[in-house]
Amino acid sequence: MADDKDVLRDVWFGRIPTCFTLNQDEVTEREAEAYYLLLPRVSYLTLVTDKVKKHFLKVMRAEDVEEMWFEYEGTPLKWHYPIGVLFDLHASNSVLPWSITVHFKNFPDQDLLHCPSSSVIEAHFMSSIKEADALKHKSQVVNDMQKKDHKQLWMGLQNDKFDQFWAMNRKLMEYPTEEGGFRYIPFRIYQAMSDRPFIQKLFRPVSPEGNAYTLGDLLKEMYPAAITNDGEQKRYQVVIHGIEPLLETPLQWLSEHLSHPDNFLHICVVPTPSD
Amino acid sequence: MSGCALNEKEFFSCCQLLLQQSEHLRDGWSWEAVQGSEEGYLRKTVLRSVVADCCDAQKQKEAASQQERTQVKLEQRDGGDEDDAVCMLSEGSSHVLQYEYHILYSCSYSAPVLYFRAFTLEGRSLMLEDVWSSVHPNFRHCLQNSPLTAITQQEHPLLGQPFFMLHPCRTEEFMRPVLQEAQEQPRPVNYVLLWLSVVGPVVGLDVPLKYCTQLHPSSPSSSEPD
Repeated sequence: MADDKDVLRDVWFGRIPTCFTLNQDEVTEREAEAYYLLLPRVSYLTLVTDKVKKHFLKVMRAEDVEEMWFEYEGTPLKWHYPIGVLFDLHASNSVLPWSITVHFKNFPDQDLLHCPSSSVIEAHFMSSIKEADALKHKSQVVNDMQKKDHKQLWMGLQNDKFDQFWAMNRKLMEYPTEEGGFRYIPFRIYQAMSDRPFIQKLFRPVSPEGNAYTLGDLLKEMYPAAITNDGEQKRYQVVIHGIEPLLETPLQWLSEHLSHPDNFLHICVVPTPSD
Repeated sequence: MSGCALNEKEFFSCCQLLLQQSEHLRDGWSWEAVQGSEEGYLRKTVLRSVVADCCDAQKQKEAASQQERTQVKLEQRDGGDEDDAVCMLSEGSSHVLQYEYHILYSCSYSAPVLYFRAFTLEGRSLMLEDVWSSVHPNFRHCLQNSPLTAITQQEHPLLGQPFFMLHPCRTEEFMRPVLQEAQEQPRPVNYVLLWLSVVGPVVGLDVPLKYCTQLHPSSPSSSEPD
């Protein structure tokens, strides 16, 4: 369907206007100006912020620079989460541009993974794709791909090449017609105020009777508090790529069209803003 | 047990069995439950003493260029394996490291997964390079060449903190021959214990033989065919 392909493009090209400011406590030789950037929702912070680093390095001495890390309102930002997920989870109801603070010291190694090079990002990205395929196809599709096919997925993401990426990714979105969908749906549900980083469990897209499960069915099973009952006031928003899909949306469709390039459906449950 | 995969209920019962044996052997494993559900993980903390070795010129250069990072040589209490000599910045001192091991269940791979982290007693976490040097040299070579069984830094799925993880996607592959053999001559097999005895030593976690010789005849078999 032509409409569905448009959704894939809209998801891929989603951007978040961001303002990067240097942490006040960093030692600088002169005042650092803020740096503005449009961040791709589907990419990762450490993959797209080389320019940010270069910008701030101009006013700092080498000996004052360690591993760069980012923070929003006191919360260290996990680079290994897609940028759009970080925004929806922490800042979805705040004013744009998204204000991120940049640090070059005191890396919080109890909260953040280290990211010494882009090969670490690549390994993480490919690992997610493989895990997603383990759930969807018992790893059969990803294992049938060659190394160069895996590379194409990564290069597509790294270089923002929608066609290059999807030429390969479409294989990961196929399923036997008689099954009606993937074996299990790769998803993660994030809640900002929780000790647990995310909920990820086995969930089939189709019932034993052959009925398509919806987003609402998934939430009822995995995070019932997110669903508003009749007559109640809406406490939570269920956000995917910055929008609130209808709870009646079939989960299989969401998995095929609103997954991130890592092939996971990342779902954020955030408190409804009180005006 | 369906094929060589492990479902979550089976994981839970294997862990409980391992726990019973661990208590008997005082091996230190505990079960950390998630919010009163059956979901949880096995946990064990081990203190290791580390002996500083004389400095090797090449390592000294590396250590100097890595600022605060130090590399450590680990010596097992039972006499030590031969590891490459690496240096501590303060020579001649002995340090104690605290290793923490977690065994979680991966529903994506239908297998147990080993997570671990290490701290100095001052609370400084060890980096990936430090951890590599604690991997037995026999394993280091094959782990480095096979990224899918590699040790990588990952977010702990229940605690949200950085841990090192041994990648689970090949578990079914190496468990299969052992499990098939066990199923041919039907003897009770604790999947988790078996798995741990294979992967544990790779990251310095010993599984005493007594776990296997100490089977209670009255305890239920931990893995039964579906």
